[in-house]
Amino acid sequence: MGTVVSYLVDPGPLSDDEVSSAMAESTAELHRLDGIFSTWVPDSPMSRYRLGELDAEELPPEIPVVLELCASVKQMSRGWFDPWAMPGGVDPTGLVKGWAVEKATAILVRAGVAGALVNGGGDVATFGSCAGDGRWRIGIQHPWRVDALACVVEVAGGRAVATSGRYERGEHLIDPFAAVLQHRGAGARAASATVSGPELAVADALATALMVAGSDALSLVAALRGYSAYRILEDGTEEATAGFPFADAGQRSRSA
Amino acid sequence: MSARRSRLMTMAAASGLAVVLAAHVAGGSSLAATPVGGTRPSHGSVGTPTTTTAGAPPPNGSTTTATPQGLRSATGAMEQYGYGEIAVRISVRGTRIVQATVSTLQTAESYSQQLAQQVIPTLQSEVLSAQSAQISAISGATYTCQGYAASVQSALDQLGVK
Repeated sequence: MGTVVSYLVDPGPLSDDEVSSAMAESTAELHRLDGIFSTWVPDSPMSRYRLGELDAEELPPEIPVVLELCASVKQMSRGWFDPWAMPGGVDPTGLVKGWAVEKATAILVRAGVAGALVNGGGDVATFGSCAGDGRWRIGIQHPWRVDALACVVEVAGGRAVATSGRYERGEHLIDPFAAVLQHRGAGARAASATVSGPELAVADALATALMVAGSDALSLVAALRGYSAYRILEDGTEEATAGFPFADAGQRSRSA
Repeated sequence: MSARRSRLMTMAAASGLAVVLAAHVAGGSSLAATPVGGTRPSHGSVGTPTTTTAGAPPPNGSTTTATPQGLRSATGAMEQYGYGEIAVRISVRGTRIVQATVSTLQTAESYSQQLAQQVIPTLQSEVLSAQSAQISAISGATYTCQGYAASVQSALDQLGVK
């Protein structure tokens, strides 16, 4: 999968050993889930499922759980998120990374940490308090400046932030510049999309959907209780739903 | 907030999934190394590949240093990340990584030149220097991850840490 997962943890009352133990369990779970869902591994259960090689009884229970969540988000997003539309069979990739990071975070929460932020390749789960005023400040990757941020969001523990970007797909950041429009207009593609909400798996899938969805899609997200979105188009147009957790008040003027 | 916190960081990699762990410290830490990210202990330099540290600039290249407290540091090799190079400097005590900061994040000359030649849209609240934003993480920066992990591994190799 090639995903790097990073953790920021405030152990709170836990001892070093307890933290180490919780971290070990959390990372082991990530590896276990990667082993189930990786479509890069030819004989992972997910790969075999896509080829029709596994019966329902042989499936690890995580697969139907994830697929059911996919179906749910497909419905929520009016089909903009559709893992069944992928070539090669159903592919929950746009959701499962966020889902796995959520699971990994939950292990730390159960262990009793005071705060945690787990970042799996751009999908961020948070819990509890960050040092300082307790809220987590998360930068959103700039879609065409690799060493810059598009903006900063600030969330309380328990809210997730997921960003999907054209740059993630192996498309060079340079290529979209060839199409950078000198004027704004309909047809500009999304360069990146960020969704914030209570469930990282859902935010992950919705961000994926927003990359390809039309202009009505932001209001779809806004209609989902607890979720908000921010999308950047290749021509520099920015759209956001009311309540998107921009860190600085001045940014809120962009809300739709 | 807890009066006692510990900072620990370990790295493990398996089947393409690299995991970088970090825990944060408040003041009162026994670490002698430059605090990561300045005044906010939860700064994103640790575990956040694209931020550069606000502390004293660490030496470039593969130098290793050691302090009386048993803290040993090394800067990993510059690794490609698709649009340039990244290098990470780590400090370890024993086999435990206690600090990791991005020491260098360079965009390739060709990329910088292309940027300069284009009319690049400016975003309303863009932050061109991520380290000034006092963030704990970056959402979306996936392409630096492997370079970051490779550089950390290189530094671990230099220090002889498994």
